Amino acid sequence: MSSATENTILEFRDVCFSYDNSRVLIDQINLSVSNGEFIGLLGANGSGKSTILKLASGILKQARGIIYLWGKPVHSYRNRDRAKLLSYLPQVLDISIPFTVREVVSMGLYPYDIMPPLSTDEALEMVGLSVKADSVITNLSGGERRRVYIAMTLLQGAGLVLLDEPLANLDIRYQMELLRLLKELRAKRGITTIMALHDINIALQFDRLMVIKEGKIIGTGTSDEIVQQDLLKKAFDIDIEIKREETGGVYIKY
Amino acid sequence: MNWKIFLITVTAIIIITVALFAGPRLINPFVMNDTEKEILLSIRLPRVIVSILMGAALGASGAVLQGILRNPLADPYILGISSGASLTAAMGIISGITLFGIVTIPVFAFAGALCTGVFVGAMGWKRGGFWPDRLLLAGVGLGFLFSSILMLIMSISSTEGLRRAMLWIFGDLSLADWSVIPYGSLFIAAGLSISMLRAKSLNALILGDELSHSLGFSPRKERFILFLCVSLMTAASVSLGGMIGFIGLLIPHMARFVTGSDNRILIPVSAIGGGAILCIADLIGKSVLSPTELPAGIITAIIGAPYFLYLLRRKDVLSN
Repeated sequence: MSSATENTILEFRDVCFSYDNSRVLIDQINLSVSNGEFIGLLGANGSGKSTILKLASGILKQARGIIYLWGKPVHSYRNRDRAKLLSYLPQVLDISIPFTVREVVSMGLYPYDIMPPLSTDEALEMVGLSVKADSVITNLSGGERRRVYIAMTLLQGAGLVLLDEPLANLDIRYQMELLRLLKELRAKRGITTIMALHDINIALQFDRLMVIKEGKIIGTGTSDEIVQQDLLKKAFDIDIEIKREETGGVYIKY
Repeated sequence: MNWKIFLITVTAIIIITVALFAGPRLINPFVMNDTEKEILLSIRLPRVIVSILMGAALGASGAVLQGILRNPLADPYILGISSGASLTAAMGIISGITLFGIVTIPVFAFAGALCTGVFVGAMGWKRGGFWPDRLLLAGVGLGFLFSSILMLIMSISSTEGLRRAMLWIFGDLSLADWSVIPYGSLFIAAGLSISMLRAKSLNALILGDELSHSLGFSPRKERFILFLCVSLMTAASVSLGGMIGFIGLLIPHMARFVTGSDNRILIPVSAIGGGAILCIADLIGKSVLSPTELPAGIITAIIGAPYFLYLLRRKDVLSN
């Protein structure tokens, strides 16, 4: 059993990971996530954000250390039981079989024998795709397809939602709407979100940020604490200028 | 949706009934003499049952395989299983071995198909699971190898069995009889029912291994079980009556147009459709140039090839 507080739903303890004993991708990570948190994983491409999410969801198995999900090792759950607690949306989503939008979204109900709190129509409504419910997914744009999968992930009704760069392909309107929706779900149902991203402007929307570089967490804290010139220069290896205005606005220049 | 499935089932029953009583000699089901009864029970009925079994196995295998390989152009023969079966069956026919009596050739074909399935599976296995691309490439590579060896054997052979082997390779149902039906039914029913029971996991596999895992399935385990089902059904089908092209590719796509892509409906509808289409193809094959019979595999290929080309033109079916 995990020794973390009662409110902790996910905990990494000294977790390391590499594929076939090659380059270490995750290096002794320790983290803990409390119920209802809205967390952003910030880092450059290849920094290890996706690997952390895959380890948390049980897709990958850590080489060392232990990962607790609601106090139990993540790999000790039956697949179906885990799916009721945690849902994961990967970064790469490709499909070549012509399912309809409704068919894909309703797969979010698969872990259940009884009806979960949300219906397929409600999930479609949430992502603004009700009118395309009977369209074939292979005919949709990249952004629309991503919203279909987001609806499926939400329909799954898990308490912990792991999203790997879900804002890619979405226009600004849907980026903002997704963030608003996730915050609303937290307020109404206490859903915890961990999202991998690399857009610093979007990162300002999160309660807590973790900055990842070369498989290590190099900073964790609120957006005010994390969106700092030196830390982000180190994380992204670029020149970056950050100015905070008295009105509370943040000016970021790359 | 239910009325569509009902309509498909009724149409299939009508087709099967027509295939039973029509042909070079038309039989009136209400007025039959002894000869006609004999033709119906000893020749037509087993032949129609074999057509249904083979067509159902190929249609369902195609739907499952397109799902586990996440490739709408996959068909059961892409795994090389049919080439392996053809090679061993042709070797059996040409060598004249009659080790197992009347079922010698089906047994040879089944053994060849299963061995090929195991070999392709072993080649496609990496890091504790099947990799769709590796399976596909291993199947294509092995298929080419077996086809070449088959051509070599046939080109240097001058026995009487050569024509029979040729007919068998092109899908010949004229040798169908009751003896092969029990074991064929067993393997096909097993593969079909397990596939149908795992249709939800197949739907999830189509979204990708990571989403399938997130939805509560073990993609490696599911792909393994479904691969076994496809191998069993394809092996049983090829051993019953040789290679019947295009049903595995054609039928799942036709079924998708009518009932959508949900495998809980697609697999049974593909099985029903496959059985009915093969009955029609066999009826055409034995009727158009009567008394000469054309192998049903040639008829399905003549219908299937233009449809395949039509599919290639449909971007929404074949690509993102």
